[in-house]
Amino acid sequence: MPGAARAGRPWMSPRAARRMVLAGLSVLAVVYLFPFFWMVSTSLKSNAELYAQPPTLWPVHPRLDAYTAALVGAGHWTLLRNSLLICLSTVALTVTLALLIAYPLTRLAVPPRVRRGILSWLLSLRFLPSMVVVIPIFATVRAVGLYDRLLALIFIYSAFSLPFAVWMLKGFLLEVPAEVEEAALVDGASRWRAFFRILLPMLSPGLLAAGVITFALAWSEFLYALILTATPRSQTFSIGVWSYVTEFEIIWNQMAAMGVVSALIPVGLLMIARRYVVSALTFGAVREKA
Amino acid sequence: MNRGAKVPAPHRAGAAITAFRRAAGPYLLLAAPILFLLTVVVYPLVYAVDLSLQYYRVGGFAGLHNYTLAFQDSLLGESLRATLVYAGLAMAVEIALGLALAVAVQRTIRSVAGRTLVYLLFVVPMVTPPVAAGVIFRLMYIPQYGILNFLFHDLGYRGNPILWMSSPKMAMFSVLSVDVWQWMPFVFLVLFAGLQAVPPDVTEAAQVDGAGGWVRFRAIEIPYLKPLLLLVLVFRFTDTLRVFDHVQVLTMGGPGAATEFLSLYLYKIAFKFSNLNYAAALAIYVVIIVSIVFSLTSRYLTEETT
Repeated sequence: MPGAARAGRPWMSPRAARRMVLAGLSVLAVVYLFPFFWMVSTSLKSNAELYAQPPTLWPVHPRLDAYTAALVGAGHWTLLRNSLLICLSTVALTVTLALLIAYPLTRLAVPPRVRRGILSWLLSLRFLPSMVVVIPIFATVRAVGLYDRLLALIFIYSAFSLPFAVWMLKGFLLEVPAEVEEAALVDGASRWRAFFRILLPMLSPGLLAAGVITFALAWSEFLYALILTATPRSQTFSIGVWSYVTEFEIIWNQMAAMGVVSALIPVGLLMIARRYVVSALTFGAVREKA
Repeated sequence: MNRGAKVPAPHRAGAAITAFRRAAGPYLLLAAPILFLLTVVVYPLVYAVDLSLQYYRVGGFAGLHNYTLAFQDSLLGESLRATLVYAGLAMAVEIALGLALAVAVQRTIRSVAGRTLVYLLFVVPMVTPPVAAGVIFRLMYIPQYGILNFLFHDLGYRGNPILWMSSPKMAMFSVLSVDVWQWMPFVFLVLFAGLQAVPPDVTEAAQVDGAGGWVRFRAIEIPYLKPLLLLVLVFRFTDTLRVFDHVQVLTMGGPGAATEFLSLYLYKIAFKFSNLNYAAALAIYVVIIVSIVFSLTSRYLTEETT
């Protein structure tokens, strides 16, 4: 069999294969990092330099004018404040509600059918396209007077962060042995006390990871904010970034500056929780070790 | 009753209360978040059904009028075709590239530092807000300022400047490129994590038996990755079906309707033409499709829900 004779010998020496992979990865690194570089570089240019032909790769006189013009001049700092308020409230609400689901499902006597039902229902919410939900939500939010209010976004972001937050906390809760709590109960602590004094501190890495990812998702959200807000009173930072696109003549350096701020916050935050990103996005189907 | 009389009454009542609390406790905790979800997520869906059964503007019970309307809507057809082209191409490229990369990195990069570096490189685009990703690529594609056309010029391209966002084919390519840039890393990271589950002795035994790289791929790695490949397929399919943000930044569905994907079309119907009734009917169709996909695949998506 000619195939069998060939099979033992790889068609490429391991060293050559390694070199090829490294070359491929270097190309990918450029493809991935250059766009970021170009955005940062653009954000540091003066208005005049934007029209240089050909465009300059590095800003000639790097300056922060575009940032001050966008955040202060155009007033987008209020959107930044709105976004921070929304994200922090969303994190608080999501983590609280997620614990209220994950704790009984993992620690108390719940029939397996109920547990499976709730978990798979939550998972199904993840696949619901936002555009589908926002159509009736828009009508509802207008009817109850929450249109153009921060509260509407906080509720919606919390509801749609809940599925992954529950799944994530469920994973963390299962890793804390039940004996730890039971020991406290035997020692006479109430369930509340055992929960707050023993379990919660042990869960803190999980709470931090879930909180950070919830924050990042809420920060990145665009569609609900686009439809449910109308004025700087409640618009989010994503809307501010997008608003440059709709202008007749786009001010590229300001748009880039907004893009940098918009990307920097979740990227910076997720460096804290980077081990859990893929695990959170796949509802725990993937466990990472990186 | 008689037998119960033997037990001192207060104790019996206490036991009953404890038993009740034990049984009801979980549900008392669950009540608040479930109620919250019912209000914010389920009620709107019920309301969508209600909306979809009414006539646009004039109101009144319309039966399935809005649902049958969809079949005469040629713009919807175009939008669906664009969506499927987008979903198909995005999934094909992302899965092919992600899979190849996962296997290549798994086989050649062994050091922890090297792997951490690769991980960091690919986590960043995934957590970049889609709106910001749209901005990033717009800055490269715009005709006046975009760096890409200058780069092509330097490389010797002398044809007409490429209209990245205003010719139908290139517009499709541009929005697709952002999707691939952002989500190929997801496919890669999921499959790469999956490859860690292949027991090293299985691979070693195969090598001792003289299995080459391709045989290892077909006979060992692919079977191990099968559940994750399905997961990636379902996640990417449902996500490409709802794609909106970066398209809104790059092309807003244009030129013409070349990149007017399902979500953008629904957006136009619901919020530009204010026809919430027809939009709700279309939304219900989408819910039905997504529910079918979910119910067929959910049991394979995650390990048994213990």
